[in-house]
Amino acid sequence: MSERLLEVTDLRTTFRTVTGAVPAVGGVSFDLHGNETLGIVGESGSGKTVLARTIMGLQPRTNVEVTGSVLLNGHQVVGASERTMRTMWATEVAMVFQDPMTSLNPVMRIGRQIDETLRVRLGMDRHAARARAIELLTMVGIPSAQSRYRAYPTELSGGMRQRVVIATALACSPKLIIADEPTTGLDVTIQAQILNLLDSLKEQLSMSVILITHDLGVVATRATRIIVMYAGQIVEMGDTRDVFFHHRMPYTRALLDSSPKVTNAPHTRLAVIPGRPPNLSTPQPGCAFAPRCAYATERCHVEAPTLVDASAPGHRFACWNPLPETSDREAR
Amino acid sequence: MSDLLDQSPGIEPLREQRLGPLFWICVGWLTLNVLGAIFANVLPLVNPLYQNYIVINAGPSLHHLFGTDDLGRDILSRVVFGSRVSLAVGSGAMLIGFGIGMPLGMLAAYRRGRLDSILTAVMYVLLAFPAIIAVIAVISFWTPRTLVKIIVVIGLASVPLVYRVIRSATLAVATKDYVTAAKVQGSTDRRILFRELLPNIAPIAVSFLLIGVATVVTLEGALAFLGLSVNPPTPSWGNMINESRTVMAQNPWLVIFPSLALCLFLLCLNFIGDRLRSYFDVTEVKL
Amino acid sequence: MLRYVLRRLVMLVGIVFIISVGSFYLIHLLPGDPATVILGTGASPANRAILYKQLGLNKPIIEQYFVWIGNVLHGNLGTSFISQTSVASTIRAAYPIDLELIFLSQVLAFAAAIPLAMRSARKPNGLLDRLLSAGSFTLLSIPPFIVIVLLVLIVSIKLGIANTGPSSFVSFASNWRVNLTSLALPSITLATASFVLYFRVLRSDMIATLQEEFITMARSKGLSQRRIMWRHAFRPSSVALLGTAGVNIGGLLAGGFVVQYLLGIPGLGYTLISAIASSDYLLVQGIVLVVSVGVVLINFFFDFLTSLVDPRISRE
Repeated sequence: MSERLLEVTDLRTTFRTVTGAVPAVGGVSFDLHGNETLGIVGESGSGKTVLARTIMGLQPRTNVEVTGSVLLNGHQVVGASERTMRTMWATEVAMVFQDPMTSLNPVMRIGRQIDETLRVRLGMDRHAARARAIELLTMVGIPSAQSRYRAYPTELSGGMRQRVVIATALACSPKLIIADEPTTGLDVTIQAQILNLLDSLKEQLSMSVILITHDLGVVATRATRIIVMYAGQIVEMGDTRDVFFHHRMPYTRALLDSSPKVTNAPHTRLAVIPGRPPNLSTPQPGCAFAPRCAYATERCHVEAPTLVDASAPGHRFACWNPLPETSDREAR
Repeated sequence: MSDLLDQSPGIEPLREQRLGPLFWICVGWLTLNVLGAIFANVLPLVNPLYQNYIVINAGPSLHHLFGTDDLGRDILSRVVFGSRVSLAVGSGAMLIGFGIGMPLGMLAAYRRGRLDSILTAVMYVLLAFPAIIAVIAVISFWTPRTLVKIIVVIGLASVPLVYRVIRSATLAVATKDYVTAAKVQGSTDRRILFRELLPNIAPIAVSFLLIGVATVVTLEGALAFLGLSVNPPTPSWGNMINESRTVMAQNPWLVIFPSLALCLFLLCLNFIGDRLRSYFDVTEVKL
Repeated sequence: MLRYVLRRLVMLVGIVFIISVGSFYLIHLLPGDPATVILGTGASPANRAILYKQLGLNKPIIEQYFVWIGNVLHGNLGTSFISQTSVASTIRAAYPIDLELIFLSQVLAFAAAIPLAMRSARKPNGLLDRLLSAGSFTLLSIPPFIVIVLLVLIVSIKLGIANTGPSSFVSFASNWRVNLTSLALPSITLATASFVLYFRVLRSDMIATLQEEFITMARSKGLSQRRIMWRHAFRPSSVALLGTAGVNIGGLLAGGFVVQYLLGIPGLGYTLISAIASSDYLLVQGIVLVVSVGVVLINFFFDFLTSLVDPRISRE
């Protein structure tokens, strides 16, 4: 077991808005080891993107309050100045953004966008940076990288652009890559390619990856561990196998049920989770999932459950009425 | 230095909810101007052309609130009467500009097709034509100069601009689902144009109208300043400023009052236009 | 890119053609016989004959245009019957002053607007931003002809600086000190009007750009503030700025007319206004043609710059 790369302890990110405080991330703790892929899964609005940006230290400071601790390779991120963060960004941690249509500068050649990182952060000269940028472009699978170096983002397809974004993130060989829904904006056929690329690069460069997604299917084969988030909180976490086959939290079950399976019989009605994620600006007592939960009891509406250990090591869940423990729950 | 880029993209500031007291002060001032111009004849003002040789180049006094000019004419009276020219040109020219440009722009954006392509091509060519030069050229050749000719020339010159703004505003609305829905339900074109499109582009049109009036009034002022607008002795803010140049050093009031009147008028127009735009949150259409 | 430039060029030729037709037709807006109006009622038959030949007045109007445009293309804009000098030479003597005025005022306006707008946009609604926004909004409502009058009132008269006249005007080449002194006030006046426009456009575009995801991405690459502002945010934000600058040229000329008229600087504006005052119609026609074509050319140049700055534009 390698050393801990990332230690997140009781992290809270609260937005101050006109309508009141919104706890987008409400007390999250987890660790990440070297060369590990961690999947963070949740519906939109569950706070996973805010969590990612808080860990990155990219969250704006005005009207946002961050408490708790994020230790990245021993450096504290919470409360660090932009100047301090600048020494960590790209070299320690890098981000693959969600939408490659908006995350690349439209008026800069893609080569320039990669090699400026190399020049600014690693002090490479023009020629070395250019050579390295082309190498990176080749590595992420961009054909004829030499000529694409001079292309503008608009001249590339979405999948190609996302490869450029990945190449940019890889430029300074970070120890951790945070990929925030890296395939949401792409065609289904391209999605798998990009995910496999990330996966193989992770092995090749022995980095850690945090893969954020709303789709459990995306992380099933790629993540070593999975965190399920709901309303800004972790509701279940554990090894991928445990989360898929021994999950205890009804929400995890609901998430699994609502994604289609190849093994489904034709015309199987897909389960939906009734209701909508809660409005975080008007906090309710009790479990946030209770209003939508089929198993909810009186207690669930009054008292919020905390994370408790399940039988497998590292497997934890937050629920008053967990699903019974079974030997191997069938992931339908 | 470190937090300068900190703008929270997630939480947009709410758009302006109120028009604010300054808005209403501006509206009040403009109303006062308009009323003054309309009722200048019945107001207790000295004849703006009356030359009182006893008080020449006098500073402000109780008798002449704004003082008198080098011919002993009352400046207050001339400023009030001078506003008539500015208001006439501003409203008249915009009436022509909107009267032609608005229906064309709406129709082109609603019908699309060949009508739109031809009209838009013509208007863009006309837009490339430096309007100010064209106005000066036509006014200088089309003698003798009258107020009506000036209004017509400026009005026609503004048509392409009005057309472009209205067309892009209409286009933004015409592609919305509720318009398609109305079409599918078999509403007549006339109904769609008046009931669906017009109310939705009205805020843009109004704020552009105000800014247009300001632009036209500025242009008329510049023309008058160059001696290319209505002929003296009829007072206008522009020609008052022009005439006062020679005696500026002795009697600065002569410059200051018409300048102040014009600037305040323009400031109010611009402010109201700007405020309306942010109030109705019309950002997608660039003016 | 090449196709884009070619397409614009074709449009340019079309517009210049329309301008030439418009300028040509101006003469026929005159009431009555153009020759009588241009020469006055007491004109000698010899002069009438010259003018008739020069304008081809006895031919049908379409043919007249071709006579006229043929002369124009050979650099012959006619001879003024008022000053007895060729229109082309008068224009040649005057236009460098306009170019110099435009150049000086634009350098001043950009030099002030760009850094201030960038600084303002970094903290929207900060103290500096509020001050600058309010200030620029007020300036927006003060027409150039009032700015110059007030400047003259304050600077020339109170400080006792002598007013230059058209005859005392010195070109940059012969004495640049005197030249720049006499152009200082007009340049500042024109710069003020442009500054207001440029500041407002760049500020709002910068604020919008800084909200873009690619700025967050640039931050996440560990780039410095300065680099992000100038390398990443400025260029995409400057597209509208260039467009505004191109369109502004027309307004700048009008402003130029005003300051030249007031201070007696013998540029095209001053010449035009004097020509109108003395009913020197051929000179007016020549200046209108040259200035219009000049504006369109400058517009075209800015269009081209815009397409260089933003590669998306030429690919539409």
